[in-house]
Amino acid sequence: MSILTLRNISKRYGSLQALREVSFEVPRGSVFGILGPNGSGKTTLLGIVTDVLKADTGDFTLFDQLPTATQRRQIGTLLETPNFYHYLSGFRNLQITAAVKQRDEKDIARVLEIAGLTARQHAAFKTYSLGMKQRLAIANTLLGDPDVLILDEPSNGLDPAGIAEVRGLIKQLAQSGKTIIMASHLLDEVEKVCTHVAVLQKGKLLTSGPVNTVMVREDFVEIGSSDMNGLEVLIRQHPMFGNLSIGDGVLQVFFNGVVDPGELNSWLAGQGIWLNHLQVRRKSLESAFLEMTQN
Amino acid sequence: MLNIIRIEWLKVKNYRTFWILLILAIIVIPASNMIVADVVSRIPKQATDLLGKNFYDFPVVWQTVANVNSFTSVIFGLLLVTLVTNEFSYKTHRQQVIDGWERMDLVLSKVFWVVALSLIAFVVSFITAIAFGTAYSAFNFSFEGVQFLFFYFLQVLVSLSLALLLGMFIKRSGLATVIYLGYAMVLEQLLTVGVKHFFGPIGGLLPLQAGDELLPFPVVDKVLPSSADYGHGVYEITIILYIALFIGITCRRMLKVDY
Repeated sequence: MSILTLRNISKRYGSLQALREVSFEVPRGSVFGILGPNGSGKTTLLGIVTDVLKADTGDFTLFDQLPTATQRRQIGTLLETPNFYHYLSGFRNLQITAAVKQRDEKDIARVLEIAGLTARQHAAFKTYSLGMKQRLAIANTLLGDPDVLILDEPSNGLDPAGIAEVRGLIKQLAQSGKTIIMASHLLDEVEKVCTHVAVLQKGKLLTSGPVNTVMVREDFVEIGSSDMNGLEVLIRQHPMFGNLSIGDGVLQVFFNGVVDPGELNSWLAGQGIWLNHLQVRRKSLESAFLEMTQN
Repeated sequence: MLNIIRIEWLKVKNYRTFWILLILAIIVIPASNMIVADVVSRIPKQATDLLGKNFYDFPVVWQTVANVNSFTSVIFGLLLVTLVTNEFSYKTHRQQVIDGWERMDLVLSKVFWVVALSLIAFVVSFITAIAFGTAYSAFNFSFEGVQFLFFYFLQVLVSLSLALLLGMFIKRSGLATVIYLGYAMVLEQLLTVGVKHFFGPIGGLLPLQAGDELLPFPVVDKVLPSSADYGHGVYEITIILYIALFIGITCRRMLKVDY
């Protein structure tokens, strides 16, 4: 079953084409990252899915059904900014959400605990710091333990510890089998948690699918030695050598095929070069993304 | 609908501005009648004898209270504008749709307040009329003329429907308040005078004026009947059509527009 299926969604704001014929599918159980620079249409897309924006053309389904309020009640969504009544406490704001979602109020204590807001739950929302507001918004999405979460820039406004917490939480939720649709411009964030991605640029879908097939990210080996010149000359003679780039005191070597680091080490030692640095690495999502969006 | 009302209750239960405005709107009803009653009591006896009845005698009291209150119903309108524009300033209208309201529920939640506040105004006026009638009247209790309170109810309904429409379209609390007050207190009077002057009694069919035409000041209206008028039925139907129109336009917009 697909959680979300988009078919040729287009949306225009005046002269700006915010989305252009976007189609893709979010499978159940995936952590689906929607990537793109600021202004690429990520929030517009999620706004359409949650019915706060109307698409000009195209349609979509939620849980293979026509999207209505009933489907939205089964999804926990954080879109753009935390939207709460400033004069009400965090707890009372969540009471309203519980009533809208028709969920039991008993769950409020649990989600406030997860968000680390138990101590401040009875203080007015307007007294919260930016990070606390964001955490209340995350608590709001978790209310009623929905199977699907839509998170738009979930770590906005959080400090490094908060970002790590949210990332841990997302991983934990993903492991428990939930489907997570996440929009982000922080590739690092996506790289650490996503199983699938869709890449948007200026409203156009560049690609979508499982993260490892969509973004070609070959492994490379980082090596260093006290004799860097000798190492460079020697490594070029390796039978599977592809190409190399010189990094910060190390060589980044791409091979044609898989090379076992142990065998590589032994091969170099056999020729008289001893390594003081050896690490197998993977091209970052960021460089893969930049390559993709610059073409 | 019950769940929507419960959610609206959660929004206002701990909202101080709401309670202050509501209590103000309620207190103004007996208070303004007290002022009028005080002024009336100073009219020389010969003059009131000439008019026949005192303004707070049964059955005239129903009309007096309805007329006096029609001047202060804008306070309920301000309360409604606040409740509507709050949703836009906090963007909670977005959040409630995201979390699982239909867009129509947003409209219904505020139509609920239009009806609820109108009923509160009606009930408080009803009690006020009985209290003043009992306190001041030289005549026995009578329901004769109670229809003026229903006209007042209609007038509050149309005034609040207009506040709903303005709030939903303008979204910004300050601007919506100023435009609502400006229209209710000045602009429509000007329009009425202008239209009546150039086109005749049709000027009395503007939304708030139609209510005013149903609620002339008592006793005096017998002495100085307004020049050209339609029957009560015409004004009542006009008001109901305006209410339907204002709520209809609101629905149309809220169902279509981007939030």
